[in-house]
Amino acid sequence: MTASSVRTVGLDLQESSEDTRRVVEAIEQDNDDVVVTQIPGLVKIQAPGQLVIRRETVESLLGRPWETHEFQLAIVSYYGHIAEWDDDEIVIKWDH
Amino acid sequence: MQYELRQQVIEPRRKTFQYLIERNGDKPASRYEEGTIDVQPTENFHYRPLWDPAHELYDESYSALRLTDPYSFLDPRQYYYAPYVTTRAQLHDGFGRTLEYLEGRGLLARLPDGWRTLLAELVLPLRHYESGAQLISVNGARFAYGASVEQCLSYAAFDRIGLAQMLSRVGFALADGGDELLTAAKQQWLEATPLQGLRRIVEELLVEPDWAVGVIGLDLVDRLLYPLLYRHLDEAALTDGAGPYSLIAQHPASWYVDQRKWLDHLLATWVADPEHGARNADVLTGVVEAWLPKAEAAVTAYATAVEAAVGTDAAATVSTLAVRVRADFTALKGDS
Amino acid sequence: MAKKLSMKKRYSALTRDLDWTPSYVDPEKVFPYTSFEGIKIHDWAKWEDPFRLTVDSYYKYQAEKDKRLYAVLDGFAQSQGHLSLSDAKYLNSMKLFLQGVTPLEYAAHRHFAFLARHYNGPGPRFAALCQSIDELRHTQTEIHTLSTYNKYYGGMHSWPSQFDRVWYLSVPKSFFDDAMSAGPFEFLIAISFSFEYLLTNLLFVPFMSGASFNGDLPSMTFGFSAQSDESRHMTLGLEAIKFLLEQDEANVPIIQAWIDKWFWRGYRLVALIAQMIDYMLPRKVMSWQESFELYFEEQMLNGLFKDLEFYGIKPPRHVEHAIAEKEILSHQVYWGLYSFSFAAAFTTTVPDAEHQDWLRAQYPGTFDKHYQPLWDKAAKIQADGGRFFFQGLPQLCQVCQIPMLFTEPGDSTTICQREREYQGERYHFCSDGCQWIFDREPEKYVQAWLPVHQIFQGNCGGPSVPEVLAWYGIQDGDGGEYVGSADHVDWERWHAAAPVRS
Repeated sequence: MTASSVRTVGLDLQESSEDTRRVVEAIEQDNDDVVVTQIPGLVKIQAPGQLVIRRETVESLLGRPWETHEFQLAIVSYYGHIAEWDDDEIVIKWDH
Repeated sequence: MQYELRQQVIEPRRKTFQYLIERNGDKPASRYEEGTIDVQPTENFHYRPLWDPAHELYDESYSALRLTDPYSFLDPRQYYYAPYVTTRAQLHDGFGRTLEYLEGRGLLARLPDGWRTLLAELVLPLRHYESGAQLISVNGARFAYGASVEQCLSYAAFDRIGLAQMLSRVGFALADGGDELLTAAKQQWLEATPLQGLRRIVEELLVEPDWAVGVIGLDLVDRLLYPLLYRHLDEAALTDGAGPYSLIAQHPASWYVDQRKWLDHLLATWVADPEHGARNADVLTGVVEAWLPKAEAAVTAYATAVEAAVGTDAAATVSTLAVRVRADFTALKGDS
Repeated sequence: MAKKLSMKKRYSALTRDLDWTPSYVDPEKVFPYTSFEGIKIHDWAKWEDPFRLTVDSYYKYQAEKDKRLYAVLDGFAQSQGHLSLSDAKYLNSMKLFLQGVTPLEYAAHRHFAFLARHYNGPGPRFAALCQSIDELRHTQTEIHTLSTYNKYYGGMHSWPSQFDRVWYLSVPKSFFDDAMSAGPFEFLIAISFSFEYLLTNLLFVPFMSGASFNGDLPSMTFGFSAQSDESRHMTLGLEAIKFLLEQDEANVPIIQAWIDKWFWRGYRLVALIAQMIDYMLPRKVMSWQESFELYFEEQMLNGLFKDLEFYGIKPPRHVEHAIAEKEILSHQVYWGLYSFSFAAAFTTTVPDAEHQDWLRAQYPGTFDKHYQPLWDKAAKIQADGGRFFFQGLPQLCQVCQIPMLFTEPGDSTTICQREREYQGERYHFCSDGCQWIFDREPEKYVQAWLPVHQIFQGNCGGPSVPEVLAWYGIQDGDGGEYVGSADHVDWERWHAAAPVRS
């Protein structure tokens, strides 16, 4: 295990709509050791190493089609690198 | 049930920003006005650009075309960011639905051969034309003087990438989701004879130092290409059993109507300018004389290939359109 | 339809594959500005596009964001929401924002258009085009957000012309002019990396959190709404630096020098934020020291720069000076603004007892020792019917253009002064950092339009303060002392008559 794989990765999301809450739940489902902190209007999500947002999980919680592009509406900032963003998932982690 | 809502009434100290009060009096201003008029810095710049020390960071002399008051031009569409993205979201949503419909019913595969050839070999390569158009427009977005003109050019630049993406998506649809036709279209753009006039004129406009000449030169080409492809051919497609072409064409056609609104108004504003109008008119005459023949030659060569694919007197249509462009510019000067 | 292409390939086909090498004109003439800075690019195709936003998605989601934002703005205006602010003096922070930050959004809008035209690589060109349009969004949503306050309070009515003319606004103006006048790669490091990534939280979090804590619903909503655009901008900044560092080892020292320069210039710029967060917010969010420690020392120095070590990049030159200043910066700057706010388009005032308690608790090492005595003296002058203002004009630093009110590292009782002779003239600097910046490009910094020099040269309306203020477009009620100001008087009057609001 290199030092980089235990560095914390983070996401700040706007907590302003029902849809975003489902996205947060999806993230909690798909990632281990997630810490979610709530402050007014903002949800701070942290995890060691990486965070994955999976379209399928979000869709199953939302009950409607969801494209990864829609994540634009929720994201406030992130801490790490966007390693992947395609039709099925978004991955945030550190490079080095 | 009707009821009155009581509120504490507080008189405002002023109804808008000072710069608008000075122009229009102390009354409420529109969001377009508040977000556009007098917003660009005009004086006391600190350093000359390393990349062009002959000019200031914002400089009227980036173009021979001048306005006494840069805000004598205002966008007739009154686009500031919010209505712009809203209206374009609707355009692209409409386009997306058209494509979904065509793909869902396999209608593109049922296009007559000539129309399919037209789309694949002549229309798809124009996504590169749109890409060049975006560069020419965004150059104006940086170097035009005053927030009202540059804002229209910023939106026009983004529009062109949108149009390029529309054409690309048609390309994916024609190839069942693959990019083979787009790859081939790029080769057409680079090598096929009918497209070289267009490519050449775009490249020459890209190195034109006066941003406005670039924009007007591009518009001269648009004034021939757009009515040819998205009005003339649209009508022909319907009678020729190539309905899907018409369904696609309606979207760039409606964009072009929108584009004309601000650009025609800018041309008229230049010519009507109290101080610079006469000189602007001369500059415009010069631009038309320099670029319209090239534009006409390029689009005529293109239209010849269109005619080979689908007939419709495409080349003659271009002549008629060019006559109309000349007449429009003559009328413009006459009205000032 | 059978979707054969990955999002990455599809995105590439939609954006960078539009590019072609011109053959009818010299390609160097199409992109004339990308080699003079000495940056070497071997393969533009290595530029990553993490967000992969297509134009139709852009329009759709941005339209949705604006719909939500403008609904809040309309509701706030309709309900006269400004009456629910913590206090009218809170708005001094947003006056500074409209005067000093909004114009930078506009400048970014214009100059990202330059990058969108002049990079000879299609990947970053498209990213720059999106950012240019985004920055226009920010410019206009900020104007629209603050338009409601402009109707009832001072200091906001003439922000564009004041940006061009007023003394303290030459700090942000010269900062961005410096970036715009630089080459396209330096601009990318200066703004996309240093400003939109390295320092962005130091700039935005104080304003937006300040808005949230002080009942400023529209600004807070704007802040959240803009943040999702900012995540794209941050990404561009990070991608820019990684890409340039990976393209050629020769780029590393050039980038390092730009990081060094732009950290310091940006750090001096955010001195205006430091004073805002410690002194201008009736309800406090956090101290400057705390912000600096979290958003810069922890997240950047111990986070990002650890990452950049891989490329041979070191933490910015002079950073230890910034760290050493964190307990004194805000106090020095606010004292300066307090002393000169007769010539500003915002008001200042002596912090009240509760505020002083907070400052004392946040800065146990410095507030009582160095700054309490100043406020005691100012308060006494005020109690005796006066108001302390500095009688005269301050010397400005040639580079950052802030008055020379900073102190020597390690000795906060001695003003820090540096100077350099260049072509027969003597130039003055507030710090080693600014002097170092000057020494690299003196021919650039000697061009600066220094507001105080200009006043003395007679270029600012006349020799008297009223004449200069008239030329600045500053009206009665915009500046000076808060207590007894038009904003204060109106606030008291509106709240005395107001029924209890839930």
